[in-house]
Amino acid sequence: MSLSPAAREHLLALADDEHMVGARHTNWIGLGPFLEEDLAFCSIAQDELGHAIALYRLILDDERPTADGTTATGERDAEADLRDQLALDAFAMMREPGDYRSCWLAEIECSEWNDSLVRHWLYDRAEELRWEALVGSGDERVAAVARRALSEERFHLTHADQFLSRIADSDTTGRIAASVERLAPIAAGVFDAADTESDAVAEGLVTTSSAELAAVWADRIRSDLARWGLSVAVDLDPAAQSARQAGRTVRSDGFDDLLADLQKVIREDPAAVW
Amino acid sequence: MRTYEVFLKKPGRDEFRHAGALDAPDDAMALTYAREAYVRRHEGDELWVVDRANIVVGDPDELAVNDDKPHRHNDGALVAARRKAERESQTDTRSEVDA
Repeated sequence: MSLSPAAREHLLALADDEHMVGARHTNWIGLGPFLEEDLAFCSIAQDELGHAIALYRLILDDERPTADGTTATGERDAEADLRDQLALDAFAMMREPGDYRSCWLAEIECSEWNDSLVRHWLYDRAEELRWEALVGSGDERVAAVARRALSEERFHLTHADQFLSRIADSDTTGRIAASVERLAPIAAGVFDAADTESDAVAEGLVTTSSAELAAVWADRIRSDLARWGLSVAVDLDPAAQSARQAGRTVRSDGFDDLLADLQKVIREDPAAVW
Repeated sequence: MRTYEVFLKKPGRDEFRHAGALDAPDDAMALTYAREAYVRRHEGDELWVVDRANIVVGDPDELAVNDDKPHRHNDGALVAARRKAERESQTDTRSEVDA
C-alpha cells in the first residue's frame, strides 16, 4: 500500500508538528519549574518525538524500494535497519526549511514557562482531535499509529488541565491570560491544511477535515478557559494565521536557529545512532 | 506542595515496594507525576501514592531498645549443624553395615 501525494502531505504536516513541538518542549530538561514537572514535561516531549518518528517511518518506508534488506517475514535485516534509522534522521533534520510543513505554534520559541505550558495545552487539545481523525483511517498503518498516540495523548491533556486549572484562577500576575491571548491566534494555525487535504479526506486517509476539527477545538478551548475562570478574549479563527503560514510552506522567525540546533549532532557525525 | 511516598508492584507475586518520593500539590497530580517519574519505563503495573502526612510513624527510640537482644537472632544455625552431624553419623553406620 502506498501513500498518495495528499496522504503524504497530510502525515508530513502532523509529523513535523510533533517533531518541532517535541524539540521545543525538551528545552526544559533540567530547567522545569520543579523536578517533578521537569520530568513530566520532558516525558511528554519524548512522546511527541516518538509520534514524529512513527510518522516519518511510515512516509520513508513508503518511498523505499521494497525488496532491499527485507526478510521473508517482512522484518528489516540489521544493516537495513541501521540504514533506515540514518535515513530517518536525515529526513527529520536535514531538509531545507521550505520543505518542512510544521505550523508556527510548534516551531516558535517559548522561553517563558507560562508560554510553554499554554502552548502545550493549545497544541495537545488540537493534537488529540487530529489523531482521532486518523483512528478510522483506511490505511491500517496510519490507524495503528493513531491508536497508540491517542492512548498517550490522554495523559498529556490530563497534565495540561491539572496544571492550568490549579494556577489559572490564582494567577494574579496575569501571565497565563497574556500567554493565552498571544498564543491562541497562532495556535489556530494548527488547522492550516494543504490544498490537497480534500483528496486525503476523499480517499479515507483522514476522516474529518481540518476546518471541522478547528471548530471543535475552538469550543473546547473556550470551555476550558471558562472552567478555569479565565476571561480572555481569544481569536481562534485559523484564517489569519493560515494566510501567514501559506499552507505551512512559510517558516516562522527563529526557525533557522531551531533547525541549526537540531542539526548539531548530525552535522558532526552523520552516522551517529542512539 | 505535599510530599508523597510512591510504591510500585510488578506483575506476579511480588509485593508492593517503595520506589521513592515526590512533591505534588495534591493527590491527582501526585499520580500524574508518579507515573512520569517512576513508571515511565513500565517499572510496575500497579501504583500507590501515599501522602506522607497519612503515614503513622514509629518512634525510633522505641525501636532502639531492641538493638541488643542476641537471643532473638536465632537463625537455626546450631540446630542445622547438629542435624547435619546426626545425619552424617547415621550414613557412616549404614555404609559400615553395607560393607
